[in-house]
Amino acid sequence: MPLARSQMMAVSDPFAHASDEDLLLAHASGDPRAAGALTQRVLPRVLAQALRMLANRAEAEDVAQDAMLRLWRIAPDWRRGEAQVSTWLYRVTANLCTDRLRKRRHVAIDTVAEPIDSAPSVAAQMQTGARLRALSDALAQLPERQAQAVALRHLEGLSNPQIAAIMDISVASVESLTARGKRALSAIMAGRKAELGYDDDEPT
Amino acid sequence: MTMTNPPDDMLDDLFAQARRLTPVPDDALIARVLADAARPVPVRHPQPSIWAQLRGMIGGWPALGGLATATVAGIWIGIAPPPVVADYAAALLDEPVSLGLSPEEFMIAGEFSDG
Repeated sequence: MPLARSQMMAVSDPFAHASDEDLLLAHASGDPRAAGALTQRVLPRVLAQALRMLANRAEAEDVAQDAMLRLWRIAPDWRRGEAQVSTWLYRVTANLCTDRLRKRRHVAIDTVAEPIDSAPSVAAQMQTGARLRALSDALAQLPERQAQAVALRHLEGLSNPQIAAIMDISVASVESLTARGKRALSAIMAGRKAELGYDDDEPT
Repeated sequence: MTMTNPPDDMLDDLFAQARRLTPVPDDALIARVLADAARPVPVRHPQPSIWAQLRGMIGGWPALGGLATATVAGIWIGIAPPPVVADYAAALLDEPVSLGLSPEEFMIAGEFSDG
């Protein structure tokens, strides 16, 4: 009699009850299956974080691969209970992204939108791409810690205490950085409303 | 006085659009990540002060540059490299560059003095 689907899942996932940290430590100990299992879990989140900040698939993939490489390299030194793998990855990815954004300041801004979203029409794809690229370029103009705080809050949807742990600062500092960052983004983006297809509403 | 930001519909909409991005890693990216996982990690010896001493003994980086081209380069680099040297050497030699040679043994070996 064939296995029920849940039984098949249990057999094929020996790491079902392992934490991310368990997997990382297993990898450091030489378990050849652990890296694949951990990659499946965390790579989508890392890639998403990078893509939301950078609005460029190729750059996001580079950052994601770089973040994972750093994880593999820190694995031998990882001490159980010191940090959460997810917190560590958020921090590393945020720093790698702001590094990229800083370099972007010195490069001519690419005005051709890349289709990065799965919107139905080409025109809609290009508009979404242009909009998200504009947001990313605006983030690039912020002080890096403001950009990171705003991205973790408004692109990743994390709470202020979570952001405080990732950035190793106080919750009050997070609130200050996100407020200032969002204010600065508004000012930068204000002049691009029409270009990006938003109505320029009169203030009430 | 705390400043509250006025609502910015465009910015909020942009944030929402960015949050909706949920890219799926393709097989090529996953393969690159797993290939990196399979590579040996360069071992760093936590003795930067010894390294600085040795460097001082033989006159700094220009002297090291000459030695590095010798066949003993692998042993030399493996003693107590700063992380950047370990990474560079690993990339160059395509293998781990650590070697179990203590600084004391190295200094006694006496094979690297001039003349």
